[in-house]
Amino acid sequence: MTLRLLRTGVARGAFNMGLDEAVLGSVSEGRQPPTLRFYGWNPPTVSLGYFQGLDDEVDREACRAAGVDVVRRITGGGAVFHDDELTYSVVIPERHPLARADIMESYRFLCSGLVDGFARLGLRAAFAPLNDILVDGRKVSGNAQTRRKGCILQHGTVLLGVDPERMFSLLKVPSEKLKGKLIQDIKDRVRGLDQLLGRRVGLDEAADAFADGFAAALGVELSLAEPAADELAEAERHAEERYANEAWTAKR
Amino acid sequence: MTVERVFKSPGTKLLRLTADIDAGAVRGLSMRGDFFAHPEEGFDRVEASLVGVTVAGFESAFRAALEREGVSLYGLDPADVANLIEEAARDA
Repeated sequence: MTLRLLRTGVARGAFNMGLDEAVLGSVSEGRQPPTLRFYGWNPPTVSLGYFQGLDDEVDREACRAAGVDVVRRITGGGAVFHDDELTYSVVIPERHPLARADIMESYRFLCSGLVDGFARLGLRAAFAPLNDILVDGRKVSGNAQTRRKGCILQHGTVLLGVDPERMFSLLKVPSEKLKGKLIQDIKDRVRGLDQLLGRRVGLDEAADAFADGFAAALGVELSLAEPAADELAEAERHAEERYANEAWTAKR
Repeated sequence: MTVERVFKSPGTKLLRLTADIDAGAVRGLSMRGDFFAHPEEGFDRVEASLVGVTVAGFESAFRAALEREGVSLYGLDPADVANLIEEAARDA
């Protein structure tokens, strides 16, 4: 079994989300094989879960002032500040042998690729239902899944570094008084690879490790490719019509 | 009367509920949070369909709409939402 591997580097949030949706379309229509993609973010971007309220979660003025984009995902889950991280997405038809009908099993199976990748970096990680991965009880990865057009799309993050002060300067906090507690909470509960390994891990090194991890854990070969021209065009169209569209971002 | 509630239990994700409740019925409803629902647009339709239902019939209407739209929920329990709506109606 082979998965197409895309390594699309860093891009703006609206394009990143647009390309995940474009790949979902091309895999759904059989134009492309099941696909694993790695990417990063520039400028830094806050992504919101499908059901989250924009004004509940995001300080838009602070984001604008800091040059941080805001996008709403087509997946549920929580708000994420994407800056110093490796992001992956995987798209598989629901009838494919790698697909699991049960949502929890599906998360567990696809996250096994990440767990294997952490092992390659020297870290013993464990899946924590429904959608997290922990090392020594600390969160190192969050993941979100949707099912559309007969396909599973799962995307998620691996934190290369964490900056809780910066994160909470962009996300809403119930009160200034609580801000310190929330920052401490993230410091206690969340870890970047840099803290865990005592050295910086770059995007490429991380993508190498997790590509090998997915290949081993899922029992697949990876075939490195570039996104097809029609996928890139669709990604730009989705970016413009959906992800950079205020009506979508402010949907809730 | 518009009510705002924030709810989280060990088995659920965070829910931010805004509801307009008047004369024993739900006149407006917004459920926001980091929960999951598949398909997502189906949940949007479920939510919209609950405007106009009675407080007493809220949970059964919610469950029936989920069934009708074929929506599965993760981290959000209709019983919790119904309880919040009932509490809010009592306080009204």
